Amino acid sequence: MPDPAEQTNVIEVNGLRAEYGDKVILEDVSMDVRQGEIMVVVGGSGCGKSTLLKQIVGLLEPAAGTIRVLGKDLAGLGERELDVLHESMGMLFQNGALLGSATVEENVAIPLLLNTSLPESVVKKIVLKKLDMVGLAAALHKLPTELSGGMQKRAALARALALDPLILLADEPSAGLDPVTLKSLDKLLLDLREMLGMSLVVVTHEVSSILRIADRITFLADGRVIFAGTKEEIAGTTERRVADFFASATGVHA
Amino acid sequence: MLEINRDGNIISLSGELDRTGAHRLLEEVSGRRGARRIGADTVFEMSGVTRLDSAGAAVLDELAGARRVSVKGFSPEMEKAYRRFGTGETASPPEPAQTGFFERLGDGAYESVRSLTGFMVLLSDALFWAVAGLFSRKGHRKGAFVQQSVTIGVEALPVVSLTTFLVGLIMAVLSAGQLRQFGANVFVADLVAVAMAREMGPIMTAIIMAGRSGSAIASEIATMKVTEELDALRTMGISPVRFVVVPKVWAISVMLPLLTLLSVVVGISGGMIVGFLSLDITPSVFLREASAAISLGDIITGMGKSVVFAWLVVVTASFFGMQARGGPEGVGKVTTSSVVTSIFLVIIADAVMALIIYL
Repeated sequence: MPDPAEQTNVIEVNGLRAEYGDKVILEDVSMDVRQGEIMVVVGGSGCGKSTLLKQIVGLLEPAAGTIRVLGKDLAGLGERELDVLHESMGMLFQNGALLGSATVEENVAIPLLLNTSLPESVVKKIVLKKLDMVGLAAALHKLPTELSGGMQKRAALARALALDPLILLADEPSAGLDPVTLKSLDKLLLDLREMLGMSLVVVTHEVSSILRIADRITFLADGRVIFAGTKEEIAGTTERRVADFFASATGVHA
Repeated sequence: MLEINRDGNIISLSGELDRTGAHRLLEEVSGRRGARRIGADTVFEMSGVTRLDSAGAAVLDELAGARRVSVKGFSPEMEKAYRRFGTGETASPPEPAQTGFFERLGDGAYESVRSLTGFMVLLSDALFWAVAGLFSRKGHRKGAFVQQSVTIGVEALPVVSLTTFLVGLIMAVLSAGQLRQFGANVFVADLVAVAMAREMGPIMTAIIMAGRSGSAIASEIATMKVTEELDALRTMGISPVRFVVVPKVWAISVMLPLLTLLSVVVGISGGMIVGFLSLDITPSVFLREASAAISLGDIITGMGKSVVFAWLVVVTASFFGMQARGGPEGVGKVTTSSVVTSIFLVIIADAVMALIIYL
């Protein structure tokens, strides 16, 4: 892998402020993600992690600050340009957000059918492969409601990966997974990074998972970044909440 | 069971201070059941208490807060339970500030303007892509048009037929009573035909569709909105308007005029039956009168109006669906608003078009 400092940033968030109505969700958040990097976003419930992802993918507009994705400032993009940019981005929603009226197969096929001109037979092959990657090939013809929460999540991950995006934003891919499935999911994320040079922003609470996959960590609390750095730098942090988070999961009480 | 013993200003409790016990204690100290109200210097002696839950602890805190009584003598286990369940240290967040009358008025006005612009943007977006989408495969699912046409059109056949049949029938009965006085029975046919073709057919069909398909569309889109399916589509580079709304625009734009045509035919036959049974007008005479009364232009105008109604219904339903927030309740709310608004808009549009066409 080349020297990290020389790699280009695929995501640059600068001084981001996000609001819902009068409520400030994020305040002065800055984060950059380099190409081929796995950035893990950590923080307590309701600290704005999901909001940060939705800002990066352009679903929400910042109240202040700038977001650049693949060198493009989101604020300056029209709807059409944003659609094009979205084809290079995959987003896994916290609740999966699969189309309830379509089977798992159709769900994964939709981005391929609508955004590419690949013939249906090829699309079918890609869909099967993606579902196999997340361990769901058997659920091909099921409706989302017939799957468990963890399976819906993985089906949604397969859909987010359908177009082999350059950037994957994953909101708690590990929620509801048993440790063994979690480990294979982490392996998948690492492979995607290695084989496709994909950059990932992953929101997760699983410390074991963080330690396996994270290149760098952004720790949010009360809508602000209270820690940003590598796994190794956690040991040296003086920020109590960050230390507590990692200590609580490993069972070592500081 | 909670035992309460009073000795001067000391109240000794023993037994279980749980939900039932807490109730007993409140009754005791509030002066009901003939007991004395407690004073400010009361001491609760808790050494006999064997169980304390959140209700018990909350009542103790309530008493301690309001009357400055003191609580002492917990056993170590109960002390621990009190620390766990006691509410003394739980700070309640500040109440949200009340907004004043003018602020709410301003908010309302601002919201209305924003809704109106949002509606117009969606209307133009939907109609633009409905035309542009005809020439490209991208953006919508294969087979969506057929599927939507069946749901919106074919499945509405029975209800539209029955309703407009009855409308034609009622109109014939009503007008027969009046026209008979002048010996002009046969003009019932003219009246029913003209009314059905120009007004009743298009508007009744549109109102049925607003209730039937409009509510279905609004709740479908609202559900997709609250489950983030619409957001998910956007992140896949797929426009929700093109993917979800446009196939419905196509289907309803084709289906509503056809249903309107059907309603005219069925309505006139409703009138024909009344004519035959109670006015001695034979069906052939009725049909000849009816077809002489209306022109092809009337039928086409009626169908044309129904296309406008179709757009209003589908765009209103989609617009309200996309405004949904919150859970199931939010879906129900926007569905109701959508149906009420689209029926209202259909009637307004009909009045406007009547003024334009017939004046």
